[in-house]
Amino acid sequence: MTKKESAPLIETKNLHKSYFNEQVETPVLFDINLRIDAGEFVAIMGPSGSGKSTLMHILGFLDVPTSGHYHFKGESTEEKTEDELARIRSSSVSFVFQSFNLLPRTSVIDNVTLPLLYHSGTHPSQRREKAMKAIKAVGLTDRATYLSNQLSGGQQQRVAIARALVTEPGVIFADEPTGNLDSAAGKHVMEILQNLHEEGHTIILVTHEKTTAEHAARIIRIMDGRIVADDRTFERRIASQVKELK
Amino acid sequence: MKLRDTVTIALKAVTGNRARSLLTMLGIIIGVGAVVLMTSVGESMQSVILGQISALGPKTVAIWPGKNGPEQGAATLNPDFDSITMNDIEALRRLKTISYVTPVIFMPGKVKYGTEESDVTVSGTTPDSYINQPIIATEGRLHDEQDELNGRQVAVLGPDTARDLFGNSSPIGKRIDIGNQKFTVIGVLEAKGSQFFQNMDERILVPFETARVSSQRSYVDMVGTMATGDTADAINDIQFLLRRRHHIIPPTTGIATDNDDFLVRSAEQAQEILGTVSTSLTAFITMIATVSLVVGGIGIMNIMLVAVTERTREIGLRKALGANRNDILLQFLIEAIVLTLLGGIIGLLLGLGMNALVVGIASKFLERYIFAVNFIAMAAALLMAAGTGLAFGIYPARKAAELNPIEALRYE
Repeated sequence: MTKKESAPLIETKNLHKSYFNEQVETPVLFDINLRIDAGEFVAIMGPSGSGKSTLMHILGFLDVPTSGHYHFKGESTEEKTEDELARIRSSSVSFVFQSFNLLPRTSVIDNVTLPLLYHSGTHPSQRREKAMKAIKAVGLTDRATYLSNQLSGGQQQRVAIARALVTEPGVIFADEPTGNLDSAAGKHVMEILQNLHEEGHTIILVTHEKTTAEHAARIIRIMDGRIVADDRTFERRIASQVKELK
Repeated sequence: MKLRDTVTIALKAVTGNRARSLLTMLGIIIGVGAVVLMTSVGESMQSVILGQISALGPKTVAIWPGKNGPEQGAATLNPDFDSITMNDIEALRRLKTISYVTPVIFMPGKVKYGTEESDVTVSGTTPDSYINQPIIATEGRLHDEQDELNGRQVAVLGPDTARDLFGNSSPIGKRIDIGNQKFTVIGVLEAKGSQFFQNMDERILVPFETARVSSQRSYVDMVGTMATGDTADAINDIQFLLRRRHHIIPPTTGIATDNDDFLVRSAEQAQEILGTVSTSLTAFITMIATVSLVVGGIGIMNIMLVAVTERTREIGLRKALGANRNDILLQFLIEAIVLTLLGGIIGLLLGLGMNALVVGIASKFLERYIFAVNFIAMAAALLMAAGTGLAFGIYPARKAAELNPIEALRYE
């Protein structure tokens, strides 16, 4: 397929993934056909072991499919080398992890700057400014010089979101971003993700919780490696309007 | 990723765990420190000895009886102790390639002044020796041609000998016993310190003629002289002359002197020998340095492997954020190089500090022992340290670079 303005951001055809352990094949994903447009907020929902994380890794260029096609921004990704995949990760995608994955004993600003070190599009002199802008977007300007381990879990996850924003990627993958947080901090994180979506960011949320998935505009359900449902969210939760449970 | 960023990350990693970094660097620190210290000491010693040789004058040529060179007071061990005769001296004086031929006779017997006694060496020598090895009298005068011609019983004392026998009072005009004869002290030499580990301030000089007559000898213990031109020519002439006079069949090949009953040496030869010694010393130090750097390098590799395991999640994260294999490889490689280079610099400073200590102590015993460093050895030691980091850092760095990002992120 040629690169076109109207091409979807993500498009997979008959995507299949198996793991091989001593020549024993363990299939994880079967026949995934998916289309996600720029600006969408999609939740990939399924129980643990359903293959949702594997799908996210493939869509986020951390892993490659065993067979099938994956077009990103209209471009085929099958023939990419490891270093080319690293370049796509650097320029076009970013991740928010369940366990935050911040560098310990490192300041908030240095954590947020980290992706820019590998980002060819950012001159070293612009790094600080970009990082501060991302930190402001998650409301942590006054914590910029704190060390990551001096922050609460919710604040750490917000730093991780700032880190995901800093390269202005095409899509942000959030893997159970509220999994390690209490409900108030989780609500705050979902509020930020919804705001980012409002501002035009594409967000792919991976979760096993129905209530978390319902913050997205579209929910793709995965079971045993297959897509079993793909619907608009029936009753969408808006984090900023949900009363705190406490 | 810019190299500067990589170096910054490496420095942060190294300074983040100071105690461990220091222990890791220990092998490198000791290796480089030892090299710097030993080469500096070698350099200082060399400058001391070279200084003595050049003070002696590079044109100085000495002749000793026997095959094995100077063995003072060991005449019984030297069957050729009487091989150089007064007639030889006269013949040597006629050679064009040498000048200031100064024979030396060591006088036996104790030196006494009142109740004070001394075992100091008494050399009978001509005033020419004051030209071969320039020295002045700080008190009184040196003996001269007149003393020589008349065989006067006069003596010139080294400053230490003067102090031993006379304390602080002036020895000039006093009479001392050498063996069973009386000598009048006419002068005290200026202080010279040690030369070739011999205290030049502890000696007595008397006119050669006086020594010859009183010992009733026709042979000498040593001859000092100076080459007028090339020292090799001078040595050739001396060897040719003495072999002919002593009926020695000259060696047909090379420089073999097996049949000779005398030995000729020049200060220049001593310099050459010193050069050979310092070359083998350098080779020895290089060997030690290599061994210690290899041991240090294995330590570095060990700790880098631990660091890669410890930071597996960080590596996974960096890869997820867009780092490619080269970024990770360089990060760990540069960390290893920073560790070794830093260790090298610490070792260098430590070596220099130790050397300053050695200089402080040695300069009390050895005149002209000064602070000297071998810059080439220092640069080479640092380069080798960094090279060690490169060589032993590459394996852990590759291991880090090849990690699968998903597995690395899941690593507990």
